Amino acid sequence: MRNKALVYVEINDNRVEKVSKEIVAHVKKHFTDTELCAVLVADDQTIQTIIPDIKDLGLDKIYIIQNILLKHYNVSVYSSVLSQLISNINPDVFLMGATCDGRELAPRIASKLNIGLTADCTDLQLDIDGNLLATRPTYGGKMMATIISKTKPNFATVRQGAFKFSQQQFLEPEIIFFDADYCGLDNLINQIEILKTHKKGHVQDWAEADIIVAGGAGLKSKDNFELMYKLAELIGGKPAASRAAVELGWAPQNLQVGQTGKSISPKLYIAFGISGALQHMTGVSNAQKIIAVNIDKNAPIMSIADIAIPADAIEVINALISKLSN
Amino acid sequence: MSFKIAVFIKQVPDTNDIRWTEHNTIQREGLESVINPYDIGAIQLAKNVKFLLKDCEITAVSMGPMQAKEALKEALSMGCDKAYLLCDKKFAGSDTLATAYVLSQFIKTKLNDFNLIICGYQAVDGDTAQTPSSLAQKLDIPQITNVSAVKEVHCDYSVWFKDTNDYSQTIKINHPALISTTIKNAEILPDINSYIKAQTESITVFNADEIEADQSKTGFVGSPTQVKKAFRPVIERNTKVVESDNTDSAANYILDIINKCKEQDEK
Repeated sequence: MRNKALVYVEINDNRVEKVSKEIVAHVKKHFTDTELCAVLVADDQTIQTIIPDIKDLGLDKIYIIQNILLKHYNVSVYSSVLSQLISNINPDVFLMGATCDGRELAPRIASKLNIGLTADCTDLQLDIDGNLLATRPTYGGKMMATIISKTKPNFATVRQGAFKFSQQQFLEPEIIFFDADYCGLDNLINQIEILKTHKKGHVQDWAEADIIVAGGAGLKSKDNFELMYKLAELIGGKPAASRAAVELGWAPQNLQVGQTGKSISPKLYIAFGISGALQHMTGVSNAQKIIAVNIDKNAPIMSIADIAIPADAIEVINALISKLSN
Repeated sequence: MSFKIAVFIKQVPDTNDIRWTEHNTIQREGLESVINPYDIGAIQLAKNVKFLLKDCEITAVSMGPMQAKEALKEALSMGCDKAYLLCDKKFAGSDTLATAYVLSQFIKTKLNDFNLIICGYQAVDGDTAQTPSSLAQKLDIPQITNVSAVKEVHCDYSVWFKDTNDYSQTIKINHPALISTTIKNAEILPDINSYIKAQTESITVFNADEIEADQSKTGFVGSPTQVKKAFRPVIERNTKVVESDNTDSAANYILDIINKCKEQDEK
């Protein structure tokens, strides 16, 4: 094979981040003539629990960097061992998820290796010479840019939800243990101490729901916005909010659609009183069906959605709730 | 010896005010320039540290054209003690890697005794969030990103609150260190002394030679990434407008689609 692509598989709480699987599925489907490799970084106990989870992704090789020093994520330490692996195996393309950790880990590795890096991509293709064409939103989603890099590996982070995860046929991957140099790494670990962690639970689960109902400034008040929670529960979906609704203080920021770092792809997206700014619409562009309910016929969303219903959003929500409650 | 903080700021076009040319490129003429909103958050956080420590000096630094002096003057009026501009034709076209290199050269040659570097999480004209981490690596120092507030500061270490969508943490870090903050658009009211200082003080400018920057690592030449093409996102669906006589029929129409969507699931 001509190209070698390496995907960093991010582990959190003993599970593989979904975006890592999404990247693997995309590379498998769209990169021709490419050897597909993954790298895992953790302590040996975690590695044992993770391997079964990634064995059926259709990978050719899995590189494993395991050591007790790698039990907890530390950006200085992880960037050191991953840089060592990159220098050793020289992949043509290196990819990781644009998660919170990925977005600080990737630039550290790029800086260490003096290579280019493209952030938070929503599309990745290879040109005929095997160079990565990395496309990303910029100016807050108002513009798209396709970036190329002069250095190898071509390195990019990928927005969560930008690609669809699909189970692959089973292919027994070759497992290779990489022996990193851990000299001095315990000093790096001692520079930082996490005194307390509070997990917010799986607040992001809404982003993976099949049906998402979202409210915007057109709902006029926080009380009206709170009807979204009730409606979502009644139809078995999840509530979300536009940036305007978040900025008005009606909804927490982790419910915001179109936020940097995250795309959603529900089967059905219903927008109530949302005007549909470009960055909002790029955030939901993977939705199978979009219904917009807005009293303003001229709101941008009314000419972008699949179904546009010019009506008072609050009245429609109330009607839906009363029908579903009966 | 006073505690030293460097705050890196960037002058950016006001992204709330973007207009398009007929060729689908961003209309740059007449575009208002502002300090990147996250960098104002960084200045606020630096001021909070100064409030805790008293004997503390905040240096604002920007890489950019001469026009960026305006942003630095504003930083002085917000309470920064010193301001430097890194300006050279050789810096033009720098990507995040080249930018981090230039900033690291400033630190190494002019402010090597710093205790903290505070940056905004990302610049709103690029949204990459790469420069702070890249800089921390160039200086070989530890970092915390997504910082929402400072808890305590001592000479050798400090404690910070980190807040992400998934978790919040309290983290202790040894100095020197880099902090990047998600505080955005802090409202800093200029005090009279800072305001006068901003009006009277001239901004010192350093070029590539003065910070011993290797030309092959700066600007277009030193930037591995290039924009191949830029375009306006196109979102197109065949929109069907459903006019309904009353709320009830609109609700029924939506319920019908919801039910179809669920049936699809069960199959």
